[in-house]
Amino acid sequence: MGTRDNNEHEAVQWLDLYGDALYRFALVRVRHSFAAEDLVQETLLAGYCSYKNFSGKSSVKTWLFGILKHKVMDYYRKLPPEQGDENLDEFAATLETMFDAREKWKIQPGSWGNDPQNAYQQKELLAVIFACMDELPHRLSGMYRMRELEGATTGEICDRYQTKKSNCWVILHRARMLLRRCLEINWFDQAAKGK
Amino acid sequence: MRHWIFSCKQISRLLSESMDRRLPLYKRMGIRFHLMMCVLCRRYRKQLLFIRSLLRQEGKAPEFSCHSLSEDARKRILDNLKKQQGEKK
Repeated sequence: MGTRDNNEHEAVQWLDLYGDALYRFALVRVRHSFAAEDLVQETLLAGYCSYKNFSGKSSVKTWLFGILKHKVMDYYRKLPPEQGDENLDEFAATLETMFDAREKWKIQPGSWGNDPQNAYQQKELLAVIFACMDELPHRLSGMYRMRELEGATTGEICDRYQTKKSNCWVILHRARMLLRRCLEINWFDQAAKGK
Repeated sequence: MRHWIFSCKQISRLLSESMDRRLPLYKRMGIRFHLMMCVLCRRYRKQLLFIRSLLRQEGKAPEFSCHSLSEDARKRILDNLKKQQGEKK
């Protein structure tokens, strides 16, 4: 670690040292290479500007990843609002059709057979999960990602979205319900047809 | 005794909530009791946990992926860093 005075040098070095690792971290989460590149850039710039505040208690790498983590969460939160309300209605309708009037399953969760064993299958499956997440209303998708990908607590998520905890739990519940259904339609049903 | 008898719809919500916080005892009992009898809710629970485990794993271990910054992106970031440094002076 150098002195604080020549931090311009350092910012450039960070790109060499941690650029790829930061990029991978971002790419896994946002899935678009341009968005991931922008996040890396924002992180390095933010790091450069706030280096004087860096306490040195953690390594530079850990510190930069901490900045990136926040940038990623802001990215989820700032996803552009949906086009009109049609989408939202459609999702509300899907949720309603899952149960009958007696609150029993109407669209029954199917048997998914064995969980995918090999890494290749898992990768394919993850691709479908991410595609399904992109389909969700953005607020649901953003909160869901924070919770399941980042392992953020509902407290942290509520703070970011400025919403009540009880509301958070409902939203996460809806996201899980919709995502599971989307995955079933686009992966497991397809696989069953293929057999 | 009926206050811990829940419908499938209620259980689906409680199962999700139990993944986000520790539920009060009567709700946990209600879930356990319901799951003993309901194969669909058992399935639902297992599938939610499966999806979570995949995502948590993915969130934690991106090192596996072999992607790296493209030369273009690297250059662009470098230019912007230098620009920023220029402005600061």
